[in-house]
Amino acid sequence: MPRDRVEIRGTSKGLIVTIKSGNWQSVLEQLAQKLEQRASFFKGGRVALDVGKRLLDAEEIETVGHLLAEHQMTLWAVNGSASETQTAAKSLGLETQSRQSAPVTPPAAEALGSAAGDTLVIRRTLRSGQRVEHSGNIVVIGDVNPGAEVTAGGHVIVWGKLRGAVRVGAINPKDAFVCALQLAPMHLIIGSLISRSPADDGEEQIIPEMAFAQNGQIVAEAWK
Amino acid sequence: MNFFAFFILLPSPFCLKLERTWIIMSATIMTITSGKGGVGKTTATANLSAALAAKGYKVVAIDADIGLRNLDVVMGLENRVVYDLVDVVDGVCRIKQAMIRDKRIEGLYLIPAAQTRDKNAVSPEDMIALCDQLRDDFDFVLIDSPAGIEQGFKNAVAPADKVIIITTPEVAAVRDADRIIGLIEAEEQGPGELIINRLRPDMIKRGDMIGIEDVLDILAIDLLGVVPDDESIITSTNRGVPATMENHSVASQAFKNVATRITGETVPFLDLETQETFLQKLSKFFSSL
Repeated sequence: MPRDRVEIRGTSKGLIVTIKSGNWQSVLEQLAQKLEQRASFFKGGRVALDVGKRLLDAEEIETVGHLLAEHQMTLWAVNGSASETQTAAKSLGLETQSRQSAPVTPPAAEALGSAAGDTLVIRRTLRSGQRVEHSGNIVVIGDVNPGAEVTAGGHVIVWGKLRGAVRVGAINPKDAFVCALQLAPMHLIIGSLISRSPADDGEEQIIPEMAFAQNGQIVAEAWK
Repeated sequence: MNFFAFFILLPSPFCLKLERTWIIMSATIMTITSGKGGVGKTTATANLSAALAAKGYKVVAIDADIGLRNLDVVMGLENRVVYDLVDVVDGVCRIKQAMIRDKRIEGLYLIPAAQTRDKNAVSPEDMIALCDQLRDDFDFVLIDSPAGIEQGFKNAVAPADKVIIITTPEVAAVRDADRIIGLIEAEEQGPGELIINRLRPDMIKRGDMIGIEDVLDILAIDLLGVVPDDESIITSTNRGVPATMENHSVASQAFKNVATRITGETVPFLDLETQETFLQKLSKFFSSL
């Protein structure tokens, strides 16, 4: 029995399309199929997309938007818990709202996300090959593994081990800083300055550190 | 009275077997993948399939490495390949016709890959449909993924209920495993579970190889097992007899333990640091008497 990857239901606010786990390509196919079956019924509807924890980029959201438009439906909102998904939706001018179902994240973290304003909060480990780019600040609650890249216009704070590549302060290198519980980035770029972590010198005591630019050099000191 | 009641309550192996036939099967589909090549995906698939079948489960191993067919060779079933995965997908044959029954262990089957085609001959949807057909007839479907992160990997991972990531204690392999975990997480298919293969305790002791903790520190997913580097694995793959079928090497035991953990039982991890020789074990046994 094939698994159900897409669910469409009507509410007083319009239609909600819930996307469940599974391969993205098959999700799209099933959505197209479901829309086809009940095209006349959905015609003219306003759709909120509920994607759960899934990460979607602007391009993927647009694909869904086009698919809905083919059936005379309009996408107006994307609900998802991943901040990347929310940022992507915002960049397309779509509404984002928190999921109606029970919140998965503790309230403290939620408050941090909303109060920080222009800060992208990522609550997972960034793995090799994953890239995050944001014009404001980036906070990662998790590790940044080797092979991952974080690029921020402002600051980067990693509540975990920073072992990937980081680039900050494209706008104002003087103010930009990078903090991590363990600061051992593959590359650290602040403005136009580049540095690497000192060679692994064994069992050194691991302390939270903060790196910033000073007199044309990148300096790291204990994060207090 | 009590004496007899005790006997009746004892479950005999016969009872267990009877009970199992009553359960309507719904297979767990597991994909074994790594990103990097040569870390032991095919070996692990062959050994785990054999070990699970030996436990009495009905298992089918699927080779998803289309164009670079290997699993049939490692399992020693190469000369029995008639139809393959692509034939099933293209509708040339029925799924049952492509399944090679391993005569050595009851309940073990193989669906080989096509050797003359490439990865684009099959789509992720084909794989999902094919595995769904197998769900009712098997306990486990093990898919041997090709290396890489392209079409072949996507095909192999699409139908998985559970993804098993295999790596060796090498920086490059761990890096690729990390990438794979990231891709699987983005598709909402869970972080997966880890097997660390070809571990050399002596090299770790000398500080020449990264240890289990270092691998787990980066990957941060559940560990399903650690398999030591073992020459007997090379001989067994060359002869086409999975190690879990016959020999009693440490690697074979490690794969058997992984299989047991897959079935949901807990088995303590092998203490690879202090591998005892047969004589040491014997003397320990006698001294404990």
